[in-house]
Amino acid sequence: MSTETRNDFFIYEVFSQKNVTASFAHQFSLLAPNKEVALTMARENFLRREPCFNLWVVKRDDIFGLTPEERPFLERLDNKSYRETKGYGDLQSRWRQHKERYEDQQKQAKSGS
Amino acid sequence: MADMVRVETVEQAKQNQEYVQALADLLFQLADDDFILAYRGSEWLGLAPHIEEDVAFSSMSQDMMGHAVMFYEMLEALGLGKADDIAQLREAKDFRNAILVERKNGAGDYNDNPHYDWAYAIVRSYVYGLHKQVRLEALLQSSYVPLAQVSRKMLTEHRYHLMHWQVWLNQLANSTPDARHKLEAAISLVWEDAGELSDLGPNAEQIVRYGLIAGEELLRQKWLNETKEIFKKAGLNWPGEPGAASERGRAGEHTVDLEQAVATLSEVYRIDPAASW
Amino acid sequence: MQTQMERSDLTENEKMEAFLARIDRGEKIEADDWMPDDYRNQLIKLISMHGISEIMGALPEKEWVPKAPTLRRKLAIMAKVQDEMGHGQLLLRVAEDLMAPLGKTREDLMDDLFTGKLKFHNVFHMEAPTWADAGVIGWLVDGAAIITQTMSLDSSYAPYARALHRICAEEKFHAQHGESIVLDLAEGTEGQRQMLQESITRWWPSLLMFFGPPENGNVTSNQAANMRYKIRTQTNEELRQAFLTKYVPRIFHLGFTLPDDTIHFDEANQKWVYQQPDWEAFKQIVKGNGPRSAHRLNLRETSYEESKWVRDAIMSFGRQAG
Repeated sequence: MSTETRNDFFIYEVFSQKNVTASFAHQFSLLAPNKEVALTMARENFLRREPCFNLWVVKRDDIFGLTPEERPFLERLDNKSYRETKGYGDLQSRWRQHKERYEDQQKQAKSGS
Repeated sequence: MADMVRVETVEQAKQNQEYVQALADLLFQLADDDFILAYRGSEWLGLAPHIEEDVAFSSMSQDMMGHAVMFYEMLEALGLGKADDIAQLREAKDFRNAILVERKNGAGDYNDNPHYDWAYAIVRSYVYGLHKQVRLEALLQSSYVPLAQVSRKMLTEHRYHLMHWQVWLNQLANSTPDARHKLEAAISLVWEDAGELSDLGPNAEQIVRYGLIAGEELLRQKWLNETKEIFKKAGLNWPGEPGAASERGRAGEHTVDLEQAVATLSEVYRIDPAASW
Repeated sequence: MQTQMERSDLTENEKMEAFLARIDRGEKIEADDWMPDDYRNQLIKLISMHGISEIMGALPEKEWVPKAPTLRRKLAIMAKVQDEMGHGQLLLRVAEDLMAPLGKTREDLMDDLFTGKLKFHNVFHMEAPTWADAGVIGWLVDGAAIITQTMSLDSSYAPYARALHRICAEEKFHAQHGESIVLDLAEGTEGQRQMLQESITRWWPSLLMFFGPPENGNVTSNQAANMRYKIRTQTNEELRQAFLTKYVPRIFHLGFTLPDDTIHFDEANQKWVYQQPDWEAFKQIVKGNGPRSAHRLNLRETSYEESKWVRDAIMSFGRQAG
């Protein structure tokens, strides 16, 4: 049933920050006629009990993203240990060896004197 | 000027019966204003113009009722009875709210053919809210330290409400001719009662003498100046000096709207006030 | 949201196969993923009904909001009804995104509600004449809702699952709110206990109906489709049995009775045996012929129609401001 004037509001995506050190996180979306109204309604719709330090609303049309077909391309090969701590798992034991060798030398020097 | 500069605790207040009386008179005004307007707000639940706004609007009613509870608890601490009894067992004539906050949201009943007026809701909330802002700021200097402390807490939450009303007033004022017309009609209606907001009641002189809050004229001028500024920014005509209803709510004179409200809000509690609910 | 143009070299059949394979692998479907029309339609039907039921469900409890008997209860029930509206908002948003490719919006949903095309849950067509009903709705109706919603937390449709995670977190508060009201009445005066007993008796058939008619071995094509798509995982009767297991003992622990002398747990079959409610009456109620259907629809429709000027106004402000 379409009436003569329709009020199809716009979709706004709501983002919020829990505290000053937290990153903005997406919450949900709401319908609003403009950004000011969207912002005044945002917290109460999605953060009635959670802490909220700051808020953004973004018109969904203004968000540019990947198609479903493109999303799988985000997957990576598991060959990038050089970027992660797990690629450097040998460091601790190597440092320990150096320390132990040094301490042994010290001990020998003392008993030798 | 003020006879007592600083009263830190309930016990200290209780040493002067006149002080307690003045403090209680003021607290009833503060509590009843917030309580009754929050009650009117709660009647809007599920009926607001847009689902998202329904949710947002309800938070403000809850916050406002939360403020009323804090004031009622201060009355309880003064030995004037349980907060629940104070809120629900008094008769309409014992309420000290301004007439503006007790007016119905529109024709009909909240559960039976409500024909509620959103423009009136916005204007009443905002005009009351602007006055409340001035009042809370004045209370920061109150001689009764616990009152200054709760007022500071309320101010933060209240400023968030004002931001909300600001957006609504501005958008309705600058949208369709129909909305503009409805908004102006609502302003006229609110203006018939708004003058009573800064009335401190029959005991005003003592309230001010004990330094509980600034004088009526000061509150009124500050509030009118702020409101004038807001109206101007929204491009609205200044409606002139606000009037007051023929009943004086601050003196316990009320309309049938409050009688109905009190009957409704205490309906269950009155079945058995001694029971646990 | 904008994306670059979709490349689709696959035939419809291949898409369908790939889709079902995703479901079988336990993957989640997003709003802009390809999905069969049937899957979309099943979701729209389910989620719009769920969403509009939340909105309509706010109304019976709203009757008790201004009357709640203490300051704390007034605040709590206001917050609870607000949550219901909020849940309606979340679910309608999910349904609206699904309907968008069909050119339908929230306004269409509202129209469908007013013309009777979009149905809402049987329980919200019923009367709530006493304060105890506010308690029973929170305790048992929300309890029933938690059971059905929990089942869908792992729904294959990701936006629905995300909305339900938010909703279920708040439903816990609702159930506690209801239990708290009910326990005050149950531990209270004779008058309070009587009020509660009457309410339990009044709501019992509606609570059984809440989960829908039992399958008796004949799962409908709708249900089968929903299960194939992993939109839902349990049958009406399985959900009802879970509800009875959780709540019947509690009702008896409080010393209350049910309007069903036959109800008992059959140890041998590990099933509750109970008197069936009037399923013919159920059909009538859901059609909009319940005791409060017309009244509540009228509340919703009047407030919606009479505030059209508000939506028109803020929309026009938005256009001017660009």
